[in-house]
Amino acid sequence: MSFLAPLWLGLLVAAGVPLLLHLLRRRVGRRIEFPAARYLLRAEQENSRTLRLRNLLLMLLRVAIICALALAAARPLARLGGTGHAPTALAIVIDNSLSSGVVEQGRPLLTHMKELARAAVDAASPSDRLWLVTADLRVTGGSAAAIRAEIERITPLGGAGDPPAALARAAALVRGSGRPGGQVALLTDGQRSAWRTPPAIGDVPVVAWSPTNAPARNRAVTSVAARPIRWTPRGTVQARIRSADSTSWRLLVDGRVVARGSTAPDQEVSVRPVVTARGWVRGSLEIEPDELTGDDAGAFAAWIGSAPAVRVLAGAGAFAQSAVDALRAGGQVANGDATILGSAEEVTSLPALVTAPLNPVQLGAANRSLERLGIPWRFGAPAREESIAHGDGLDGATVSLHYPLLAQAGAAADTLATVGNTPWIVSGDRYVIVGSPLDPAATNLPLRAAFLPWLGRVIGERLGAEAGTVISGEPGALVTIPAGVDGLERPDGSRVAATAGSWRLPARPGVTFLTKSGKAVGALVANPQAAESELARWPSAQLAGALGARHVRTVSDAGALAALSFDAAAGRRSLVLPLLVVALLALVGEAVLTGGRVRRAA
Amino acid sequence: MTSTASAMRADLLDPATIAALGRIEVTARWVVDGFMTGLHRSPRKGFSVEFAEYRPYQPGDDLRYVDWKIAARSDRWVVKQFEEETNLRATVVLDVSRSMDWTGASARLTKRAYAERLTAALALLLLRQRDAVGLIRFDATVRSAVPPRARHGQWRRLMAALEEGGAGLASSAAPALNQAARLIQRRGLVVLVSDLLLDANEAMQSLRGLRAAGHDVAVLHIADPAELELEGAGEALFHDPESQLEVPASAADVRAAYQRTVEEVIEEWRSRCASIGAGYTLVRTDQPFGIPLRQAFAARQQLP
Repeated sequence: MSFLAPLWLGLLVAAGVPLLLHLLRRRVGRRIEFPAARYLLRAEQENSRTLRLRNLLLMLLRVAIICALALAAARPLARLGGTGHAPTALAIVIDNSLSSGVVEQGRPLLTHMKELARAAVDAASPSDRLWLVTADLRVTGGSAAAIRAEIERITPLGGAGDPPAALARAAALVRGSGRPGGQVALLTDGQRSAWRTPPAIGDVPVVAWSPTNAPARNRAVTSVAARPIRWTPRGTVQARIRSADSTSWRLLVDGRVVARGSTAPDQEVSVRPVVTARGWVRGSLEIEPDELTGDDAGAFAAWIGSAPAVRVLAGAGAFAQSAVDALRAGGQVANGDATILGSAEEVTSLPALVTAPLNPVQLGAANRSLERLGIPWRFGAPAREESIAHGDGLDGATVSLHYPLLAQAGAAADTLATVGNTPWIVSGDRYVIVGSPLDPAATNLPLRAAFLPWLGRVIGERLGAEAGTVISGEPGALVTIPAGVDGLERPDGSRVAATAGSWRLPARPGVTFLTKSGKAVGALVANPQAAESELARWPSAQLAGALGARHVRTVSDAGALAALSFDAAAGRRSLVLPLLVVALLALVGEAVLTGGRVRRAA
Repeated sequence: MTSTASAMRADLLDPATIAALGRIEVTARWVVDGFMTGLHRSPRKGFSVEFAEYRPYQPGDDLRYVDWKIAARSDRWVVKQFEEETNLRATVVLDVSRSMDWTGASARLTKRAYAERLTAALALLLLRQRDAVGLIRFDATVRSAVPPRARHGQWRRLMAALEEGGAGLASSAAPALNQAARLIQRRGLVVLVSDLLLDANEAMQSLRGLRAAGHDVAVLHIADPAELELEGAGEALFHDPESQLEVPASAADVRAAYQRTVEEVIEEWRSRCASIGAGYTLVRTDQPFGIPLRQAFAARQQLP
């Protein structure tokens, strides 16, 4: 026998009260003046045997009433045989990750899982506790009707979700319910990539269903991105398509097809389309639909506009001039005075890429220039030890002369790279400062291959008037929205207010623009993980090991799932009703024995 | 008494209600007045050969005793009353022990208060019939004794005796009954008014002696309803204030057995009284005075 609410067993202590009263009945009580006490004495003497027996019976009945009520309150269960099951707990986990949308045998796999879940819910009794947990860790508890309604609402996620965490959550719910015989019913496609790390579910029994057939062959856009993010006005879309054979694709920007092509298996797609749109655009690379349509398109975002105009001052050095010339030849920058690149002491306006002076004698003039420009940073005393730079893609660059950058009051900037423990390159509002001159005598950065793309990125994304940010992740992932953003523009064009801080990416793949005063300043790009497109499954026999549960049984049909979901509680019966009947009978017996009192009350 | 109270027949009102309206003397008059109103025949008895006086004819009087000559002369109907057998000599023996000074509910009279009012009413009723009435009050001993008289002023003496104290720690009826026998020199009526929480054998012996002396005996057993039914519930120590007897019991548990015992006791008294030719009446203190009065009066009616 077990108890659903064992704390109530403490009430059994109250059963001692009638016993004590029975034993102490000659020592307690009020003193009542009663002249006919002699008749009372005579009545007791003449009926002593009957009274003693009656009192004993009353005491036993009262003890029985209290014991029966205390036991009933503790909700005991006992294995009495027969059909049905005792009140228990069942948490149904539906792995509705993106891969559950795959069409098998003419219908989505998730539809089959929902049928199985309904069958399990149908086998529940009204006194069971039920939960539904989905791969996005959404938990629904309540009646069977509420669970059925929630099952109907489930759709495949836009990403992988976290099925192991969902299973662990379900196990915790069952364990926390305290109901004996509680189990977890897991409905999953058994995807190997999803069940790599066994969740911690302890002793909670799991009944798992997964398809036994081989998964369909799947083609998927596993990655897509604009390179660079800022197109002036042209850029590149780089994508990777997972396919066992050649695949045709098409590239759309703002809903218009701008390129088409086909690619060989696992070959990278690189497209440099001609796009007439300007500003922030939504793009996608799509392949032909297959059994799993959720990964047949990949989204990207890019900013398209004219190349920034750059003027290189003499103090910037020949290497900087050559690099800008190369960028100009590639169309990434143009001639003009919009952006200045030069040594600090000669820069007179922003935006500007400011370098440290080659000659330390110019240090004072350089700092005065920074002050004049309103830049809250100063160059420190020159340091000539050999150091290695870190950050912003410049890892490994050697620095033999640098001026430690000293923050002034009100400095608010991103430190892009460091030398030792001091900032070397910092970026702020319309400025980027490099703590060394762009000269091989001070650093080998101008000589490195990373220099040219870094310079293009700095000019295009940090000093350009339309600089912005693209934040990528899987659907539903947590990301941090940068400062200055005050709204979001969803793929359907609707807008919502937003503030800087943690935000969850949309549940569906696509591009959401970050806006500031109604104008797009960046984008959130949600794409499913590449691993979610790998539909390889654990065989049923190995799935139990992948789940990491001590008690796992795998089933292959709805009937078995419904039966096994409650078999741990099967045959066990609630004894509440029999105990209440016993208490009622004892009450009737007590009322009969104390009939005088009952008649008086009537 | 107000006209409303008159109309309500005081002998049929709740004893506690009527007792709250005035002293024993006054309430006894109301009760007897009400009681007389309810009679359909003349209460007067005792017609014999020795003429005593005339009195107006009342409906119910035997027509044999109407003085037809006076009726013919003066057109007034009067009946003749005769001295020798008109007066009965009655003595009420009233128990005023501690056990009588008790009530089971504050809304009811104590047994003693009830018995005193009943005694007063009975005495007044008898006196109005020109019967001689005496009173003996007793607890452990005889507290007071008023010899039976029918003359004017006896009522006052009886009332004065009823005002005296009592509540002794025992009920000894035998001396009181014996004294009653001594006070009544010729055949008469002895009415024992008591809760009978006394030595039954001793009392019965005295009653038997009274009967042997030719007296008529009536026992009015005064009982509080709580004594008959054992009210209340729960464990308690029941204490007899008179005998100091203490009995622990749960009223709910022993109620049925107690009620059986009380019924047995009452039946014992009834049968023992019947065996010596004495009348026995159980009087509950929640009964209107008219009921026991009528029963006692019925006993009187059967006397010569």
